[in-house]
Amino acid sequence: MNTKLISKYFGGLALASILLAACGGAATPAPAGGPVQSVGTGEGEVSIVAWAGYIERGETDPNYDWVTQFEKDSGCKVTVKTAATSDEMVALMNEGGFDLVTASGDASNRLISGGKMQEINTSLIPSWSKVDPRLQDAPWHTVGGKHYGTPYQWGANVLMYNADVFGNTPPDSWNVVFEETTLPDGESNTGRVQAYDGPIYVADAALYLKAHNPELGIKDPYALTRDQFNASLDLLRQQRALVGRYWHDAFIQMDDFTNEGVAASSSWPFQVNFLQFSGVPVASVVPSEGATGWADTTMMAIDSKHPNCAYKWMEWSLNPKLQGDLAAWFGSVPAVLDACTGNELLTDAGCDTNGLGSFDKISFWKTPTTDCGDGRMECVPYHEWVTNYIAVIGGR
Amino acid sequence: MAGGGSFAPPALCRKPREAAISHSPSAIVTHSSSSPAPAVSFVNVSRHFGEVKAVDGVSLDINDGEFFSLLGPSGSGKTTCLRLVAGFEQPTAGSIQLHGEEVANLPPYERDVNTVFQDYALFPHMTVGENVAYGLMIKKVPKPERDKRLGEMLELVRLPGLAGRRPSQLSGGQRQRVALARALINHPRVLLLDEPLGALDLKLRQQMQIELKAIQRQVRITFVFVTHDQEEALTMSDRLAVFNLGKIEQIGSPAEVYEHPATAFVAGFVGVSNLIRGEIAQAITGSAQTFSIRPEKIQLRDLGQPVSGDEYSVEGRIRDVIYLGMHTRYLVELSGGSDLTVVEQNLRTTSMDVLAARGRAVRLVWQKAHVRPVGN
Amino acid sequence: MATSSPTRKSLWHRLSTFFYLRPGLTLAAMLAAPLLWLGVVYVGSLFALLLQSFFRLDDFTGQVVRRFTLYTYSQLFTAANIDIMIRTSGMAAAVTLACALVAFPVAYYMARHAEGRAKAALYLAVLLPLWSSYLVRVYAWKLILAKEGIVSWFISQLRLDWALDRILQLPVIGGPSLSVSMLGMWLVFVYVWLPYMILPIQAALERVPQSLIDASGDLGARPAETFRKVILPLAFPGVVAGSIFTFSLTLGDFIIPGTIGNSSYFLGQAVLSHQGTAGNVPMAAALTAVPMVIMAVYLIIAKKLGAFEAL
Repeated sequence: MNTKLISKYFGGLALASILLAACGGAATPAPAGGPVQSVGTGEGEVSIVAWAGYIERGETDPNYDWVTQFEKDSGCKVTVKTAATSDEMVALMNEGGFDLVTASGDASNRLISGGKMQEINTSLIPSWSKVDPRLQDAPWHTVGGKHYGTPYQWGANVLMYNADVFGNTPPDSWNVVFEETTLPDGESNTGRVQAYDGPIYVADAALYLKAHNPELGIKDPYALTRDQFNASLDLLRQQRALVGRYWHDAFIQMDDFTNEGVAASSSWPFQVNFLQFSGVPVASVVPSEGATGWADTTMMAIDSKHPNCAYKWMEWSLNPKLQGDLAAWFGSVPAVLDACTGNELLTDAGCDTNGLGSFDKISFWKTPTTDCGDGRMECVPYHEWVTNYIAVIGGR
Repeated sequence: MAGGGSFAPPALCRKPREAAISHSPSAIVTHSSSSPAPAVSFVNVSRHFGEVKAVDGVSLDINDGEFFSLLGPSGSGKTTCLRLVAGFEQPTAGSIQLHGEEVANLPPYERDVNTVFQDYALFPHMTVGENVAYGLMIKKVPKPERDKRLGEMLELVRLPGLAGRRPSQLSGGQRQRVALARALINHPRVLLLDEPLGALDLKLRQQMQIELKAIQRQVRITFVFVTHDQEEALTMSDRLAVFNLGKIEQIGSPAEVYEHPATAFVAGFVGVSNLIRGEIAQAITGSAQTFSIRPEKIQLRDLGQPVSGDEYSVEGRIRDVIYLGMHTRYLVELSGGSDLTVVEQNLRTTSMDVLAARGRAVRLVWQKAHVRPVGN
Repeated sequence: MATSSPTRKSLWHRLSTFFYLRPGLTLAAMLAAPLLWLGVVYVGSLFALLLQSFFRLDDFTGQVVRRFTLYTYSQLFTAANIDIMIRTSGMAAAVTLACALVAFPVAYYMARHAEGRAKAALYLAVLLPLWSSYLVRVYAWKLILAKEGIVSWFISQLRLDWALDRILQLPVIGGPSLSVSMLGMWLVFVYVWLPYMILPIQAALERVPQSLIDASGDLGARPAETFRKVILPLAFPGVVAGSIFTFSLTLGDFIIPGTIGNSSYFLGQAVLSHQGTAGNVPMAAALTAVPMVIMAVYLIIAKKLGAFEAL
């Protein structure tokens, strides 16, 4: 299971794409007309930019194949270009030549505002009605009432903990990773907790402060004023003393829970499932403060050469079997709730394990900008999150 | 590594000539009574590399102050002998003494000998001055003293003012002198020279031969000189040892070795010799004993010229004439079928005359006294 | 060989002659492709990258402003970035030093003592790790150095845990376990880059003629002095060549600091973060210029030390 987490290693490649993108041609202007009005016969192929592991044709594990049947039914041959980072996705779509992209919340808005995506006519997608209603109008793909894609999968950054350490008092707060405390096994948490090493983790700190320091007035952990941002950084500096190693690679984190005695950390359902399957005594929870999370959308390029096949894929991508299989494969939650029952690979408990019940407690990932979302333009932009979080990890 | 590799084990078990080794009658240098022990003494020294006997039971005395050459073809064991003296090799068997002191198990840095290497072995990362003064620096001689002796040495080898150069900026001859100066600066009691002139062109080599000899007389140090060039060995040495297949064939002064070659190998290797054996020898001398005769000792006469009682003669036909400017070499085919080489000075003849001699029937005549019977 | 008949020669023959008589053209034909590659693809992309470093990211829109400015470079010298530079170069220096110390005896043995099969086996032993995936080896080391890994187990079997704990309590190099400490990262770096140090030193030592070593001993130097005055200076270019590898490879690596150690950023990771997720390409490009400058300074010092004279 090569997820996007692992593939971050190969992010260096993305540098090349950025350069290419810098030299690439200008965007073609958006056509004046609205979305497609009808879906005809397929053009014979469709090309998709996707996270590794998102479009499986059974090559890794024959049980996980949701491409072969589609090709047989629609006559559209699927080609997949995997991308390692959101930036790479944006660069690839700017280059053009692809029909669809499974964009995360940070990339989707950039693509839409860049004029690279076309509006989707949801009436041409019969399964649209089956999409989790909470996702149908989600802001990361809906702008000005127009839909720019079909929700694909989502997931939460859960609190994973060692069940042996916590015994019968499982944690219900992120305080076990933010504050120095004595864990139920009688030892301090110093050196035994982890945090994600991506700058977006500042939002996790902000989310914690939102609950515990209401006087800061944090509403959206991705839109932080200077004061709110600095308070989050202070909390992260305090956390630095507790954290032995930050994680960015799912397999390294799993190894640390197995061999380094790590007791608690923010994590993804994927690691929880994997470790439990391997017999490591871990469990997960979405704590009372809530959690950050991500949601991906299948979006269609404005210059798509194969719109009919693209529509056929979007429809196909919402069928419960595919959604359930993918959720089991990726450790994510399906965008179609019908997938949560009766799927052999996911099992009926799968959706809950992966965080379905916590939807309301999740702050979905998006790129911080100076736009605070309430008319103020004084929020701290993402590139400052990067420099400051690097400094915090470096001990400053 | 000298002596290894291409060296073939001796097919015949040759015994060193007792006579050749035991006395060195005409050693030119007479040494003082203060140093009775020879400078270098080998007693039954062997050095084997696996199956290969690079040095095989060599016994040898080199007198103090002597210019002594080890002469032989490549792979004959001469360089290995030198390395045994220097201490780079340890003998498989036998005893090596320097001035009466057993050194067989002493490392090079504890022996009072220094070496001039075939490739000069100058340290490329040091200047000429640093190279020459290296031995003094190692001995922690104070800087002023070092500089003084460095100056003297560069003077001796006629390289003053080059102390600041790098070896790579010098010519072959200059490097050679630097190597010599470096080896002499410690005032060793024995200086070892491993074919030091081999890389120089003819003119320079002849000049260096004279210079080396002059330097040796000036510093009065025992020189042990390895060479495969018999002319060089004859020119420079007080005495020399001729090596073949890891053994010594003959030891003696240049004149002795040249005039009285002890073996057929020596006769052939030192200078050019005609070896006459079997029936032809029988026909000339009345004995089947093989003998040697130097080409320059043979006179060419017309047929019918008289032959005196103290001369041998044989008839033949000039098969080829090689005009060499100063002299001419004739290849004369004897009636028995073998060739003799004859060398004559071009006293009055011109190239036209000598070349016209081709095909002529001649009588070869030489003094009986110049004939050397040799072992087979 | 000239044939007497001037009759038709094969095209191949004539082509060969054509090029033989025009060595300049031959050279040009031979070098065209590599030069094109070097000039356009390599230098070109480097130039494009450096160009980016003279742009800046607009705080408001998050877009790259394509106008010449030194703003990005001025942003380079924040305390956190200077920490990263010092941390990275410090590690590179420590790794280089350790590699040189470990590699020299191995290289010396390979160059001056081992012969035949033993030498081939040593070569194989040095090169073998390079045949397996770098990632796999780094992961393997993570397991070896883990708190519950084999090194800890071995040390506890020797009843030396107290010593390990004492070392891990040291500031800067310590941490909760070897795998989460700078010390552990240093060990892994040394392991991973060691072959790049051994091979150049070995090559340099092999080029030192035996006669120079003989000459030094002949002139009275003991083996230790010979080593110091002759062998080491002559092998030094090899050490410098190896150190260029180990130093620059450590400067640029982002996988080992991301896997072993306490997550403090190294230059490579900072570049990846700025470029990969923040889209701050100008800052990433400026950070890329840092190891270039460090290496340039390093090479100038090496040249001053005479490291390239024997090349």
